[in-house]
Amino acid sequence: MSSAKSPLLTPTDLHDTLQAALIEVGENAYFVFVEPCDAGTFTTLAEQERDKSHRDAPVAWLMASVRFTGAFSGSVEIVLPERLGHWLVASLLGMTPDDPLPDAQVFDGVGEFANMVCGAWLSRVGDQSLFELKVPAVTRMASDWNPVADGRGREEVMCRMVALNDSPMRIRVRAQ
Amino acid sequence: MKETNGAAGNKPLNILIVDDSATMRALLHRVIGLADLPIGRIYQAPNGLEALKILETHSVQAVFTDLNMPVMNGMELLREIAKRDNWKDLLRIIISTDGSKLRRDEARELNVDLYVEKPFRPEVVRDVLCQIATADAH
Repeated sequence: MSSAKSPLLTPTDLHDTLQAALIEVGENAYFVFVEPCDAGTFTTLAEQERDKSHRDAPVAWLMASVRFTGAFSGSVEIVLPERLGHWLVASLLGMTPDDPLPDAQVFDGVGEFANMVCGAWLSRVGDQSLFELKVPAVTRMASDWNPVADGRGREEVMCRMVALNDSPMRIRVRAQ
Repeated sequence: MKETNGAAGNKPLNILIVDDSATMRALLHRVIGLADLPIGRIYQAPNGLEALKILETHSVQAVFTDLNMPVMNGMELLREIAKRDNWKDLLRIIISTDGSKLRRDEARELNVDLYVEKPFRPEVVRDVLCQIATADAH
């Protein structure tokens, strides 16, 4: 890269290190069990999110993106249901999932999740290298946005899908 | 890292948390409050520049700082602190996602006392505070 490919690691290494970073962040900071899943399971879990939403309201999805520069450059992009984001932030702060949280706090906490995953991954792939991480950007996707239909794009280097407490999350690493 | 020596006996420890994430500041505030130590005031700042303003106007014994922040990042803050003789006893703790060897070396040159990698378990921060108290007792 200037693409998000480490010259020192194989694609398998990159996938394994990203998954390890996800598990470390999820389990150590957010106290949630992170289970890798395939595309079919991700689709099923995404469809089930609708059943969990209130009165057939569209499922709100958040996208958190962290850009990084250094020995190689790119971005880590995380997509998750807003309900899961709320749950994660409440868990981090020692609150219950039913405790109300302002949107700004959910966005901030989801951005920090992405920041930690990106940092933990880069520490694994380039311990001898310095990387600069940009401030996370978190956006709420349009109500008709569908994560399953969201294509990978030419710049995608790798993609992992996981289930956190039976809710879907997708992580993409993109080249810049 | 240098020896920790900032806590003064049983005098409450005033702490400054510097992180651009309000969620991380809230988490650290909660974790610090759980430590079985005399904690005085806990100040918060979203970047290094705001942290310097607090240090100029308040008595603080320990700074927990993130590195990756807008306006003034954590390393820039630590360089400013290192320039000031009256802050030489200030305990400096980095809490960052960046655990690279190069960044740790850079921190060592700036007399950082402890380096904690995110994600961290709450017990790690509690243990850091206990280390500070223990160092002070000897």
